[in-house]
Amino acid sequence: MSSNIRNTLWDVIVIGAGMGGGVIGRRLAERGLKVLFVEKGPQGYRAERQGLNPEMGDPVARRLRGYWPGRVRARIDGRASEFFGPIGAGVGGSSVFYAATLERPERHDLEPVEGRPHPTGGWPVGFDSMRDWYAEAEDLLHVCGEADPLSPEPADPLAAPPPLSGVDRALMQSLRGAGLNPYRQHSAIRYLEGCEDCLGSKCPRACKMDGRSAGVEPALATGRAALLADCEVRRLCGTADHVSHIEVARGGETFELRARHFVLAGGALGSPRLLLASASEAWPEGCANASGMVGRNLMFHLNEIFALWPPRGTPQDGPGKAISLRDFYHWQGQRFGTVQAMGIAAGYGEIVHALNGMFDRSALRNLRALRHLTRLPAAVAARLLGRAQVFVGLMEDLGYSENRVTWDARAPEAIDIDYTLNPELLARRRAFRRAIKAGLRGHRAFFLTHAPELNFGHPCGTLRMGDDPATSVLDAECRAHGIGNLHVADASFMPSSMGVNPSLTIAANALRVAEGIVRRREAGE
Amino acid sequence: MKLKDGIAVVTGAGGGLGRALALDLAARGMRVAALGRSAGGVEETAAMGRAGQILPVVADVADARAVRAAFAQLAEAGPVTVLINNAAVYPRRDFLDESGESFAETVAINLGGMVNCTRAALDGMCEVGRGRIVNVSTFADIAPLPASSAYAVSKGAGRIFSRALVADLADRFPGIVISDWMPGMLATRMGVAQGLDPAQAARWGAALALWDDPALNGAVFEMDREILPPRGLKGRIKDTLLMRRRRARVIET
Repeated sequence: MSSNIRNTLWDVIVIGAGMGGGVIGRRLAERGLKVLFVEKGPQGYRAERQGLNPEMGDPVARRLRGYWPGRVRARIDGRASEFFGPIGAGVGGSSVFYAATLERPERHDLEPVEGRPHPTGGWPVGFDSMRDWYAEAEDLLHVCGEADPLSPEPADPLAAPPPLSGVDRALMQSLRGAGLNPYRQHSAIRYLEGCEDCLGSKCPRACKMDGRSAGVEPALATGRAALLADCEVRRLCGTADHVSHIEVARGGETFELRARHFVLAGGALGSPRLLLASASEAWPEGCANASGMVGRNLMFHLNEIFALWPPRGTPQDGPGKAISLRDFYHWQGQRFGTVQAMGIAAGYGEIVHALNGMFDRSALRNLRALRHLTRLPAAVAARLLGRAQVFVGLMEDLGYSENRVTWDARAPEAIDIDYTLNPELLARRRAFRRAIKAGLRGHRAFFLTHAPELNFGHPCGTLRMGDDPATSVLDAECRAHGIGNLHVADASFMPSSMGVNPSLTIAANALRVAEGIVRRREAGE
Repeated sequence: MKLKDGIAVVTGAGGGLGRALALDLAARGMRVAALGRSAGGVEETAAMGRAGQILPVVADVADARAVRAAFAQLAEAGPVTVLINNAAVYPRRDFLDESGESFAETVAINLGGMVNCTRAALDGMCEVGRGRIVNVSTFADIAPLPASSAYAVSKGAGRIFSRALVADLADRFPGIVISDWMPGMLATRMGVAQGLDPAQAARWGAALALWDDPALNGAVFEMDREILPPRGLKGRIKDTLLMRRRRARVIET
């Protein structure tokens, strides 16, 4: 098998088998191309159920579970910290661990709209040219949900969501009572019989749709795709305008793999690192990095997490991840983002934890003995109010070139990021919280995050798509400027981070990039 | 799929507690593979059950290759959903009468047997993400008796093996549930004359093996009652305050 793979000239090699890589590989294989997925992490067992575990520190154990083995080494506002990020390395990538919320962005996320200028002037691909790709991605990923009542855009049909739980029905009603516009969250879960709602963990069946179940697996089923897991790409090699092969390491062996086209889909943190690691005589600053923009414009979302109690007397029939609302998405001229249920119920323990966090930032923080007293209000809240539902407001981050991923050849497993919380971001965040608080009047709600919290699961922007090769890495078709057979299909391409979860956009764009490759191939380029 | 729809493998089923476990599981309607070193023992066990309900399987648990072959053959009859690692020897021997070889032989049966059978059973269990493994254990490791060194060491290692399995599997395969079970002092060849009737102990063991609850992963039972991990005074107060005090679970037969 392995020697066959090594001796083949593939039509396309896809580096990274996550949401972007899985979907583009599937589409290319369906269109008749010979595709090889090269994945750093393992294939894993199909029956596995684990979620991400930042406490698991052993790199061997992490790798086995499909977690990125190394630490994120972050400098945030100049302060160094190290932690394990919510980043996958295995078939399906991070998406096997995601909560499958696949929401479309708003028009102003991609292009300037009257009264809503775009921070980059607009993506090279407008909202209308993306619409069909979104519809196709929703179809491919079995997205269910209901249209956002606030959206002026025509709604494409989605699969019907399962019935609401009692808690969600009550919340939906009380949110509407407050003048808000909740709707059924868009979710890539098929709710097959016996569905266990694998939010945040690997789904043992093709029920949660992700880069594995909707990408790699159907690609392999075509018979035209192959998978090389546990295979680390060391560098891309080639001449100034062409990638000829990649150098990989697998099981202690190093060898080369060849293809006509290469698709980079190692994630917004992984892909720029690989390009930087590929510095050579042909590419002195790293592959596709003539602009010096590779790794820059790193964006996350900011998470504003809050507990929301359903009205008194609501039956406690478990958490639902059913509700989204966009009432604060763009508010009084400011770019905020979506608000959605996380599918977690907050009980006594979560409230104690949040209160302790407040205590630790208060003037009383040195009187440690008092910290135990946070249990009393928490117990009272848990007793009187029952379990709250946890919601998150995702707030758009803007690209700044000093926020970036870098590459350290001495620590190849570490992910190095340098990020500064811009004063503009912090001010916008305060306004977002005020808006949420004001909008939820009449509800019992309680913020669980206090310091700005970056969503490290939503990195994007590090190989920006743009028309100008001096300020961007990719052209409008997500081809590297100046390197005709190198494409990107992960979240790195995004010129802006939008106000919604990135996965649907990654999948839609991957389908678009696939079509470009097929089209040029058929045109004989 | 229910555990009961598959096959339960009981090792050391040619007599004593293993035979009693095989018969009890079979009486509950489960298909049982009675695995043992000698054909005579396991065939006798099989003959004691309803026709066809108990399948005698001859294999030495210390022989990894033989165990693999036995499980491969069983896989054709159906999925192995339950494994009770019961096979063990207890040579009463002063350490001065042990050789490195004789000691290793005991370890190969008591610990190696557990490892071999568990490894073979996991092939099928990991495929579907479901299964139940009960390791028959003792307290012999806590205060080893004289003339019991190889037994105490190997059975103690068996308990560590259970915990190591949980560390490797629990988060990935929460549906594969591993528990330790101390049956108590039994009136068997390995036990004491005034001990408990193995048929009584087997009722608990079989019920525990069919108790299908992921929350039992890593739990330890003695006879019919759970043994909770030790907790200091401070920990107990904290548990009470945090409303998470645990109560020992009891096996319902």
